[in-house]
Amino acid sequence: MAYFILKRLIQSVFVMLAVAFLAFSLFRFVGDPISQMTGVETSVEDQERLRDELGLNDPFVYQFARFTGDLLQGDFGFSYRTRQPVAEMIATRIPATLELGVVALIISLVVGIPTGVYTALRPRGIATQAILMTTLVGVSIPTFVIGIMLIFIFGVQLGWLPTFGRGGTVQIGGWESSLFTIEGWRALLLPAITLGVYQLTLTMRLVRAEMMEVMRSDYIRFGMARGVPMRRLHYKHALANTMVPVITIIGLQFGGVIAFSIVTESVFQWPGMGLLFLESIRFVDIPVMGVYLVVIAFFFVLVNLIVDLLYVAIDPRLRVSDVT
Amino acid sequence: MTRLNLRNTALAAGTLMLCASNVSAETLRWASTTDPQTMDPHAVNSAPVLSFLNNIYEGLVRRGQDMSIEPSLAASWEPLAGENGWRFNLREGVTFQDGSAFTAEDVMFSYERASNEAADVRSWFAPVSEVRVVDDFTIDFVTSAPNPLFPDSIANFMILDKDWAEGNDAALPARDAENFATMNVNGTGPFTLASRDPGVKTTLVPHEGWWDDATHNVTEAVFTPIGNAATGLAALLSGEIDFIQPIPLQDVAQVEGRDGFKVLEGEETRVIMFGFGHEHDALLYSTDVTDANPFADPRVRLAAAHAIDIASINRVLFRGKIAPASQLVPAGISGFSEANTGRPDYNPDRAKELLAEAGYPDGFSFGLKCPNDRYINDEALCRAAASMFAAVGLNAELSTGPVRDYWPQLREDDFDMYLLGWSPGTFDMEHPIRFLMHSQDDEKKLGSWNFGNYSNARVDELLPMIQQEIDPAKRQMLVDEVVAITQEEVAYIPLYTQPLIWAAKDNVDLTQRADNFFMLRWVTVN
Amino acid sequence: MIAFLKRYEGLWLFVHSPAAMIAALVAALILIGAVFAPWIALVNPYDLASFSLFDGLLPPAWEDGANPKYLLGTDDQGRDMISSILYGARLSLVIGIAALTIAAVLGVGLGLAAGYYGGRFDAIIMRIADVQLALPAILTALLIDGIARGILPAAIQQDLRVAVLTLAIALSLWVNFARTARASTFVQMKKEYVQAAIMMGQRPSRVMFVHILPNILGPLLVIMTVDLASAILLEATLSFLGIGLPADSPSLGTLIRIGMQFLLSGEWWILWIPTLFLVALVVSINILGDFLRDVFNPRLR
Repeated sequence: MAYFILKRLIQSVFVMLAVAFLAFSLFRFVGDPISQMTGVETSVEDQERLRDELGLNDPFVYQFARFTGDLLQGDFGFSYRTRQPVAEMIATRIPATLELGVVALIISLVVGIPTGVYTALRPRGIATQAILMTTLVGVSIPTFVIGIMLIFIFGVQLGWLPTFGRGGTVQIGGWESSLFTIEGWRALLLPAITLGVYQLTLTMRLVRAEMMEVMRSDYIRFGMARGVPMRRLHYKHALANTMVPVITIIGLQFGGVIAFSIVTESVFQWPGMGLLFLESIRFVDIPVMGVYLVVIAFFFVLVNLIVDLLYVAIDPRLRVSDVT
Repeated sequence: MTRLNLRNTALAAGTLMLCASNVSAETLRWASTTDPQTMDPHAVNSAPVLSFLNNIYEGLVRRGQDMSIEPSLAASWEPLAGENGWRFNLREGVTFQDGSAFTAEDVMFSYERASNEAADVRSWFAPVSEVRVVDDFTIDFVTSAPNPLFPDSIANFMILDKDWAEGNDAALPARDAENFATMNVNGTGPFTLASRDPGVKTTLVPHEGWWDDATHNVTEAVFTPIGNAATGLAALLSGEIDFIQPIPLQDVAQVEGRDGFKVLEGEETRVIMFGFGHEHDALLYSTDVTDANPFADPRVRLAAAHAIDIASINRVLFRGKIAPASQLVPAGISGFSEANTGRPDYNPDRAKELLAEAGYPDGFSFGLKCPNDRYINDEALCRAAASMFAAVGLNAELSTGPVRDYWPQLREDDFDMYLLGWSPGTFDMEHPIRFLMHSQDDEKKLGSWNFGNYSNARVDELLPMIQQEIDPAKRQMLVDEVVAITQEEVAYIPLYTQPLIWAAKDNVDLTQRADNFFMLRWVTVN
Repeated sequence: MIAFLKRYEGLWLFVHSPAAMIAALVAALILIGAVFAPWIALVNPYDLASFSLFDGLLPPAWEDGANPKYLLGTDDQGRDMISSILYGARLSLVIGIAALTIAAVLGVGLGLAAGYYGGRFDAIIMRIADVQLALPAILTALLIDGIARGILPAAIQQDLRVAVLTLAIALSLWVNFARTARASTFVQMKKEYVQAAIMMGQRPSRVMFVHILPNILGPLLVIMTVDLASAILLEATLSFLGIGLPADSPSLGTLIRIGMQFLLSGEWWILWIPTLFLVALVVSINILGDFLRDVFNPRLR
C-alpha cells in the first residue's frame, strides 16, 4: 500500500509539471500583459523596457524553466496586476473556494443520494417523475442564468439573502471561514446551491441507474426469494454496490465543482480562486494564472488519490490489479 | 496579515469611537467593476487607480465638479519669467496623513519618482526639462518649449511624502514586485486607507487633518469591486450598496422605476470612433479585393461614414442616451471646434454612389475588428455597424475579442477597420491630435495610438504650433484647421460620446464628473 | 431476429410512454426546425444585410408595439427571434453532438483499454486524464483557441471558431467517459465470462468491444445524456466567460448570453424565449436518453 501511494505521488508531480507546461505554453495566446499593465499614454519604448524587465522577451522554454525553478524553491513570484506576492494572493482565496465547493458537494450528496435511491425504488411514482423533471429543467438552464435568477428572487425581491460576497467571516489561523457566522452561511447558501445543482442531478441520476441495475441482479433477487428484509436489501446490499461508480463520479465532481466555481464565483462576486483567476485572465497576469493552475492540479491529484484509495477500501477485488 | 493596514488602525479606531458616539455617522458602500490594481499613484496610469487614489492623494492642481482646474496643493501658479515653464506657489500648513508637513521637497521627490523609468505616468513630464525648488513653498517646472496647458495636464500627478516613501523603501514605484506603497498610503487628501483586501474590499476613513473644508459627511467608505453588471445592480436594489458606477444603460428604466433609487446620467469625455488601415497596401481580410486598399481613398471612407445610421444606434442600442460626435472630443472640451460640428448624415444611396465613384460599384469585403469588453455595448455596436455597412455593399467580416488581445492586434496592424474609444487625458483637443492624428513617430512619441497611421503633413506641422500657442483665439484657429482637414479626409468616423450612467440610493447626494472619477469629498448621505 | 424483436418491443414500449412520445415529438420538431432552418427562417442571421437595427427590440406579436412579421419579436440587432433560434439550435446541436461523439469515442476507448490492460498503460492514461481534469474547460478552450490562432491563417480563423470550440468542449468531456468506462471495466474484468473469453484466446479488441462494452453501457448512457446537455450548456458558459462563439454566430448559448443583458430591461423575450427553447431541447434529449437506456438494457425493466 505504501508503495502504491508513493508511486502515485511521484506520478502526481509529473501531472503538475505537465499542467504547468501546458498552461505556460498557452499564456502567450491569452494576450499581452504589457498592454494591460500600462496606461494609454505610456510610450512604446517604455512598454518594451517593461517587457524586458519581466523577462517576457526570453525564449518560452527559458521562461518555463525559470517559473518551475522558482516554484520548486518556494518562490511563487509577484502578480503583474497588483504587484503582490502570488502565494499570498492565492492562499487568501483558497478557503473561500474550498468552503463553497465542499458545501456544494455536500448539498449535492445529501439531496442526490436519497432522491436517487427513492426514484430507483419507485420508478413509476408521480413524485419520482416530478423530481426527475425538476432536476432536468434545473440542469438545462445555464449556471449563470440560475445564479442571477436566485440573486434576484432571494436577494432583491424577497430580500432574504445577500446578493454578493462572503458575508461575515472569521479568521481561524490563516483560514478565513464563513462557516461560523449566520451571515456567512446566508451568503454561502445561494452560490452553493447554484454550484451544486448540476452535481446534484448527476449524483441522483447515477445512484438511480446503478441502484436499478443492482436491484435486478441475481443476488438481490436471491435475497428477496430468501426473505431478507427489503430495507436491508435496499440499503445494505444494493446501495453499497452502487458505490464504486458513484465514488468515481464524486471524485470527478469535486474537480467539476472547483472548475465550475469560476462561473459561480463570478456571478456572486465570491472572492475565491476562480474569481481571482478570471481577473488574472483579463489582465494576462501570467504568474497568478500559472500558480492557480498548479494549485488546482494539486487538488485534483489529491482527490484522485483519495478516490483510488477508497476504491480499494470499498471493493477489495480491485486491490490486486491496482497495486501490481 | 498584510491586508490590514496597521498604521491606520489608530485612526480607524478613532473613527469607530466617533461612530459610537455620533448617530449621524455615515457609512457609504459603493461598487464599481474594477478594483484599483495598486495604491501607488505613480505605478499604473489607469482610470480605476487614478480615480480611487484621487480621494487619498492630491496634486498641485485639481479638477472641480465641472472639470475646471483649481488650486490644490499649489495655492497659485504663474508662467516663469524669462524662460518656458511654470512657477507653483505651494499651500502652507498642509500635512500628510501621518502628520508630517508638506513642502516643496515632497513635490520634487514626487516629480523624480513619477518621471522615473519605473513609473507608468512619466509621459506627463515629457515636456519638462528641469525642476527647481526655490524655497520650501515655491517650485519651478521648466519646460523645453512654451507649454500653456502644463498645469492642466498634471491634475492627476499626486504628491507623496518624501520621508515616508524613502523610509519605507518605496522611493520608486514597484515594477515586478510589491513595495510598501502598493498596499499603504500617505497622502494629503480628504480620505485615508483603513483596510485593504485587494479585489474584495477596501475601506477608507476621513483624514481629520485635511487642509480643505470637508463638505462631505462620510465617516467610512467601503469599496467593493463587482465585475458582473447584473450582480452589481442586484446589490444596489437589495440595499447592500449605496452607489454603483456604472450600470448597463438598458437597466436605467428598471432602477428609475423603483422607489428609493436614482440614476445619474451624463456624458463621458470618451468619443467612440472607427479607424482605418490608411497605410496598408492591400486589405488583409478581403475575399474579393486583395491587391488594393480601398480605404486609402477618402471617398470610400466617406461612404462608410454615410452608411452609419446613428439615430437607430442611439434609439435601439443606447436607449437615446448618446450624443452623436462630429470630432474626436465632445463639445465642452477645450479646443472643441465649434466651426466643424457637422457629421456625414445617414445616406446609404450617397454611400453607394461614392463607392461606385471610387471604383467599387459592388462593394467589397474587409475585416472589422472590435473589442467586446472595453466600451459600452461595443460588440453590439459593431454587429449593428457591420449590418449597416453590408446594406451599402461594404461586407464586414466582424471579429471581436477582449482588450487583452485586442490592443496587441491593433499594434501589429492586424485590421482593415477597427473600433476605438478615446478620452482626452488632458481634457483638451491637443490630446487626440497628438495621439491619434499626428503621423506615427516613435522617436518623438507622437501618434502612438494612430494605429492605421493616418498621415497629413499639415496636421503634423500644426501640432507643435497648437502645443506652444499661448493666445487662445489663435490656438483655436489652428485646432479648427486640424479638425477641418481630418473631417474632410475622413481620418476617422467619430460616432458618439459614450454615456456615463451611475445609480445610487435616493439618500445619497453625489457629483458625477465627466472623467468618470468618483470623489468621496462631494458625497452627502442623508 | 433478436434485433428486430427488440425494435418491435421498443416501439411497443414507446407508444405506452407518453413522456417519451412528447419528448420525441419536441426533439423531432426542434431537429426538423434546425435542419431546415435555411428554408423555414424568415431571415438568415449570418446574412448581415437581411436584417436591420431599425427593427430592433420589437416585442412578440401578442404584445403592444409588435410587428406581426416577427412572431416572437426581435433582438437588439433587429434579428427575428424565431430565425435566430432555429439557426441557433442548428449550431448548438452540431457542436453538442460532434463534441459528444469525439469525447465518447476517445473516452470510452481509452477507458476500456486502461481497464483492460491495467498496469502502466492504465497509469499513463489516468495521469493524462488528471492533467485534462486539472485544466478547467475555460482553459482548454483558451488553449485550443490559442493553438488554432497560432497555426491557422488569420482569414479563416473566424470560420473555424465552431470547430475549435467543439474540440475544446470534447476535450473537457472525454475524461468523464474514460474514468467511468475504466471503473466499470475493472468490475467486469473480474467476472467469469470475461475471464473465460480471455482464456479462450479472443483478441483484446473483441473482448473489450463485444463482451465488456455492452455490459458497461448503463452508466455510460447516463453520462452521455447528461453530457449532451452539458456540452450545449458548456458552450453557453464559455461564451458567458467571453471565449465562446462570436455574437454574430447565434448558438442557443450565445443567444442566452446576449439575452442576459436584457434580464431586467423589460425585453424579456430576448432572454427567455431562447432559454425556454434550450430547456425544452435538453429535457427532451434527456427523457429520450432515459427511455433508450431502458429499451437497450432490458434488465432494468
